[in-house]
Amino acid sequence: MNERLRPLLLPTAFGAGLLLLWQALVVVFGYPKVILPAPSDVLLALADNFAVIWRQTVPTVRDTLAGFALAAIFGVGLAALLSFSRLLRDAIYPLIVVIQLVPKIAWTPLFIVWVGIGWPSRLTIAAFIGFFPIFIAMMAGLESTDRSLVRLCRGLIATPWRTFWLVRLPASTPYLFAGLKIAITLAVVGVIVAEFISSSEGLGFLILQSAALLRTDIILAAITVLCIAGLACYGLVHAGELAVRKWHGE
Amino acid sequence: MSSAGDYVVVDRLAKTFNPGTRQQVEALATTSFSVKAGEFVSLLGPSGCGKSTLLMMIAGLDAPSQGTINVAGRAMTSPRAETGVMFQDPTLLPWKTAIANVLFPFEAMGRPVRPAADRAGALLDQVGLGGFHHHKPRQLSGGMRQRVAICRTLVFEPDLLLMDEPFSALDAITRDEMNLVLMKMWEEHHRTALFVTHSIREAVYLADRVLVMSRRPGRIIEDIRIPFARPRGLEIGETVEFNEICGHLRGKIQHTPH
Repeated sequence: MNERLRPLLLPTAFGAGLLLLWQALVVVFGYPKVILPAPSDVLLALADNFAVIWRQTVPTVRDTLAGFALAAIFGVGLAALLSFSRLLRDAIYPLIVVIQLVPKIAWTPLFIVWVGIGWPSRLTIAAFIGFFPIFIAMMAGLESTDRSLVRLCRGLIATPWRTFWLVRLPASTPYLFAGLKIAITLAVVGVIVAEFISSSEGLGFLILQSAALLRTDIILAAITVLCIAGLACYGLVHAGELAVRKWHGE
Repeated sequence: MSSAGDYVVVDRLAKTFNPGTRQQVEALATTSFSVKAGEFVSLLGPSGCGKSTLLMMIAGLDAPSQGTINVAGRAMTSPRAETGVMFQDPTLLPWKTAIANVLFPFEAMGRPVRPAADRAGALLDQVGLGGFHHHKPRQLSGGMRQRVAICRTLVFEPDLLLMDEPFSALDAITRDEMNLVLMKMWEEHHRTALFVTHSIREAVYLADRVLVMSRRPGRIIEDIRIPFARPRGLEIGETVEFNEICGHLRGKIQHTPH
């Protein structure tokens, strides 16, 4: 097998095999469609309800990306701020690490009480969940910056701001992107959970509504679209990383 | 003890790390010396004798426990813009090209970069990196990286060069080559220079004057002039006089009490 195609072909073939097996089991044993629809049923449901599913995909993706953007701004911003002040860092960083240990999803109902049931609460939850991995990764990156480079800057009487901009920030981008990639997947989770709890739009809402109507085929169709949308969001971050690495000349 | 023409005056300087704790280390015993303007002085001593600490204090990157340092008539309390420091490692920014690394001091100091681009290119050409202006550090060998670091130190025309064992990580052949490059650059730019090394031959080859330091806590136990005329070629290392000086210095280092 061609070495270059192998990482693409192998999982695709395996996945296709699983789908075929699924299809065969449903047909042979005659499972009721309500419990386990065959892949062909899911595909059919996707085609039939595409307009509805698409309409619900837009708010989910929009809230995910907006929440992720907020998380990135606050995560990078706070980490940068703490890198300038030893006092602030020592006061705030341990607290955030502790808060980080609490399952963030548990806060969701509270945010709905505070911000309301519309998109602002979904966005807040996505931002809240995405904030932690970005902040922690950025802190790790900033703190791991080569000390000799920082000393070089000190010798060149660079201001703290220039040292940050010219050395610390570029040196921590690999860490930052690792955090951003975790954050984007978590932001999707946050938005879906928020849509479960209280919403009248989005794929989470559609899934819950379809469950009430026992439309398992639509649920699986929505999950399929969610997978693709999530992958696209992740791909966006990955593309950003490639662009930055190219700019760094790797 | 200081006189007119002294550019660097180190007066009763001492450094103790972690004073008052169990990890207390006396790195540098009370030390005084001065360096004249335009003079190239080597600080020679065994590993861990406090010579790098001494250099970092003169750079303003480390604070003395006692004593004062005067550079160009002003007391040193923090790094000064007119001092160029070369570290043991090239400390290049891995994401910048060779020429961008050479220009980095201007960025760091917030001075315009563009007007210096020609000089940076010319410096790289002088150290034999003509074809490597746009290479990244990882595409360069260890010696080439240290050449870039030399250019970066010279590009903003500092009046004082402080070099902390810059070639100690290089192999012997590359090291000889780097000494030649450094000599050539120094003869052209002629700045006051302090060069820390634990290589006796390197110290003698480069300097007008060699200060020998004892083992920790370091203090200066010998101060001799090196008489060779400039420009110096590597062949002076073969002369009897050169080897006599080296032998004398080796004796000094080996026979100091701990």
